[in-house]
Amino acid sequence: MRQVSLKDLALSDQKRSPRVEALREAYFRAAPEICCERPRLVTRYARNKGLFGKPAISVLDKARLYRYVLENRQPVVAHGHGVDRDMKPFPVKVRSLFAGSTTSHFKGVPIFPEFMGLALWPELLNIKERASNPYFLADDDVRVLNEEVFPYWLGDSIIERCRSRMNKDRAGEPVGGRDAPEMVLLEHLVFFLTSKGNCISHTIPDFSKVLRVGLRGIIEEAQQRGRTAQEPEQRDFYAAVAEAMEGIVAFSRNLARETRRLASQASDATEKAELLAMAEVNERVPELPARTFREGLTTVWICWTAIHLENPDVGLSLGRLDQVLYDLYSHDIETGKLTLDQAIDLLCCLWLKIGDHVPTVPATGEQLFGGAGSNQAITVGGVDAEGRDAVNDLTYLMIRATELMMLRDPNLNARYFSAVNPPAYLRRLCDVNLNTGATPALHNDRAVIAALTAKGDTLAQARDYGVIGCVEPGSNGRFYGATASILLNLTSVLELTLYNGEHRHTGRGVLISERTGDAASFTSFDAFKVAFVRQVSWMVDRATALNEALGRTHQKMYPTPILSSLFEGPMDKGKDLIFGGATINSSGASIIGFADVVDSLAAIQKVVFEDKAISLPALLQALDANFVGQDVLLARLRNPEKTPKYGNEQPAADSLARWLAATLDGLFGRKLNYRGGHYRVGYWTMTNHAGFGRLSGATPNGRRDGDNFTSGMTPVSGVTPSLTKALRSVASLPPAFLSNGVAVNLKYTPDNANREKMLDHFVASVEGYFDAALGGLGGMEIQFNVTTHDTFVDAVKNPQKYPELLVRVSGYTAYFKDLNPQMQQEIIGRTEYDLGTGQAVEFSRRG
Amino acid sequence: MTRLKQFFVKVLSWFLPDRLCLRLMRRQIEDLRRALEGTLTDRFLEILLGGMCLAFLLLRGFRRNLVGFSGSYLFRTADGTVAAGARFANGRMEVRREEDKGYDVAITFKNPLALRKFLFSRDQDILASILANEVSVDGNLNYIYKFGFMARDLVHRLGVA
Repeated sequence: MRQVSLKDLALSDQKRSPRVEALREAYFRAAPEICCERPRLVTRYARNKGLFGKPAISVLDKARLYRYVLENRQPVVAHGHGVDRDMKPFPVKVRSLFAGSTTSHFKGVPIFPEFMGLALWPELLNIKERASNPYFLADDDVRVLNEEVFPYWLGDSIIERCRSRMNKDRAGEPVGGRDAPEMVLLEHLVFFLTSKGNCISHTIPDFSKVLRVGLRGIIEEAQQRGRTAQEPEQRDFYAAVAEAMEGIVAFSRNLARETRRLASQASDATEKAELLAMAEVNERVPELPARTFREGLTTVWICWTAIHLENPDVGLSLGRLDQVLYDLYSHDIETGKLTLDQAIDLLCCLWLKIGDHVPTVPATGEQLFGGAGSNQAITVGGVDAEGRDAVNDLTYLMIRATELMMLRDPNLNARYFSAVNPPAYLRRLCDVNLNTGATPALHNDRAVIAALTAKGDTLAQARDYGVIGCVEPGSNGRFYGATASILLNLTSVLELTLYNGEHRHTGRGVLISERTGDAASFTSFDAFKVAFVRQVSWMVDRATALNEALGRTHQKMYPTPILSSLFEGPMDKGKDLIFGGATINSSGASIIGFADVVDSLAAIQKVVFEDKAISLPALLQALDANFVGQDVLLARLRNPEKTPKYGNEQPAADSLARWLAATLDGLFGRKLNYRGGHYRVGYWTMTNHAGFGRLSGATPNGRRDGDNFTSGMTPVSGVTPSLTKALRSVASLPPAFLSNGVAVNLKYTPDNANREKMLDHFVASVEGYFDAALGGLGGMEIQFNVTTHDTFVDAVKNPQKYPELLVRVSGYTAYFKDLNPQMQQEIIGRTEYDLGTGQAVEFSRRG
Repeated sequence: MTRLKQFFVKVLSWFLPDRLCLRLMRRQIEDLRRALEGTLTDRFLEILLGGMCLAFLLLRGFRRNLVGFSGSYLFRTADGTVAAGARFANGRMEVRREEDKGYDVAITFKNPLALRKFLFSRDQDILASILANEVSVDGNLNYIYKFGFMARDLVHRLGVA
């Protein structure tokens, strides 16, 4: 059958149903509530089974633990109430079409004491009143966390286990403190961050198998493989798979039982029938194969809640749902079992369920990196494993659901292959960006597939990529990429080069890395570049060493039987994901401050070494003075006509950008990780460019002390007047060096008076950026904010007027009101282009 | 306070309501209030730890923080001088003057203001001071989080700040 049969690709007739409208209203009204259910059950089980202090936790231990938690979770079919922003309860009178929730609350904050949950400990007494994104916490739950949960994890969180292990390895070394240097670097928070202390992996599970054979099929396969497995570790793994999957089955049955109980109490016949239908679905799936679209969605949802029970809600993504669910959808439509309205209703309810939790962020995290959701990406469109057009009716339904809901999570990512996917599809994607102001992000299949095959993925695997977390591409359900393993602040490495191994934030006179030359000692730009590469190499060594140590701690403490069961590879190998069970293994690094470093290097090359307008020591003095009294120098450094800037098609800067991307890819790419894979490098920054910027002094590109760095791979704001040149500069970077994904953030001025014309220009800008005729493969990714400057400014002043204002940060979507002030200013200050002229729009704020 | 005195104070706390126990702590509460809301002196850490010690003896609810908890803290000034050590074990808190080699975590602070901000700033968690480079930590951060809760629990119970 034709994959696209819709007459109206915009699905204009499909609206939010009264049920969805009411749930959505409650969603925006609700404040997040800290949920103690998971930590209490996990801690109780670990205490009873003597897991605390054990040198290693086996995969079977973990599976039994999760089975216990799943069997004992409260089966929530309808929440009944939420808590509003004044921390007062309010009724939620409607019920979702899906039973179950990630936490026991309407909008919950799951706590993972195994990871960073204890960071909330100091705040428990006043977390309801904190200024930024407060969480509701019941008084008794303060006691539960303080007395029954957190104390047991003092020495057993991943990061502290890792610290202790690294310290033991260093016993006897003559050092001032006890912590390993890599740990000290991490805790300075200005050099790099690692995600392993806070999560297992950014990745996409494989839902296709559970949809096809059900969990019972997976259990039977595990039992069969276990009977013939040679190694005891493999037998344990297969037993663990069966245990964990039985837990999920039990959870779904508990939900069905509760649904039937509610049905028996329902006086309204329609309500009773709805509940009974829901119970029947949960009685069947995910244990058995899904037969209908609704059963398919329920399978995904129940498995998703189980995965989030095991893995913190940081960047786990759902993958290509329009592909894995298409057959079920089309069968139901063809047989008349499903209408478009019903399908949209189901998708909208699922979208709300996916967004039913927020990550645990302590107050400083909010100040530095706040406003992030769970970054649960869904991918639609693109090509299939054979390279054919994969856009189908369900693709458009998911786009429509996203447009109708305008939620932070899920984060919709659309793939586009210009020669294969229809132009009408791209137009629709751009149209939705105009309507929502911020979503979906667009990915260029041609460039992304080339990036993945360059790292060893087969063509079929690469073509089946999904987007993970923010923008990271990975083969759907088989790529264990831990894509956010390292977030490297590249500007800190530039600083170590400029200051001969020292950093202004940690204090002059304190040697952080190695001496690579005093500023006065560099006689050429090439000599400076050599020193810079040595510093980069030094930092890459340290960051990867810590990531490896954390990875090995995961192997000791945190096997992942649930995720491993729903993934391609572990079942064949008889091995958990964290031991390298996946078909494709890698680790990911993301670089923060790329454009600022490129422009700084270009400035040093041009102003110091070519024009000899200022010596390097004198430039450092100007940086130390934050350019005070250096107006002429500052103007020169900021002027793209005098100092080359990345994003203007200036060969001096763009060639440095290519050199830098190649250098980083080489330095990271040669590292082998603890699972036998290599590191991949990407350029997306979430809100880290604002956080790191706040901690960093003035830089040679004319950026002042404490100012934000530039997001993702986007050129620096305010120095790239031409949209076309900016896009061509970015697109000229070879995708092979960018295999962990890029985020390119653009801001377009809305033009509602000439909407169709604006849409024409919008489409043209994307086509131009994705155009292989540029001499490469085109740019990999692009994302937009299409909101007026005045709206953003007003939203800063009156956040209550804009509860739903959605923005693209660097990768993910966020509600503008939830961002910290620095991040809000970063978005306001981004270069804004008028699509009519293709030129940057200047506001009085600049200058 | 000698062990014997501590014992008697603790026994007293079982019979007296918190309201009366708080009256017995009037001087400490006032010192702490001054240290948190007004004049900050070099005695800030001493006042805090002293107040905490006494509160563990007198306030039954606060004493629950000690159940099953053992940990050792070292507080140092920026020049490396030991300002104080605190050891929690067997349901007791003990303040020391000398360095405890077996500490779980060492906190080095630039000045009393930095330490106060580190422990008590509203809407900032403990990492904020580390970010501002005013406080550095060596060792297990979870023990800092625990201490942070106890410090805030103390001022909450005493009705200070």
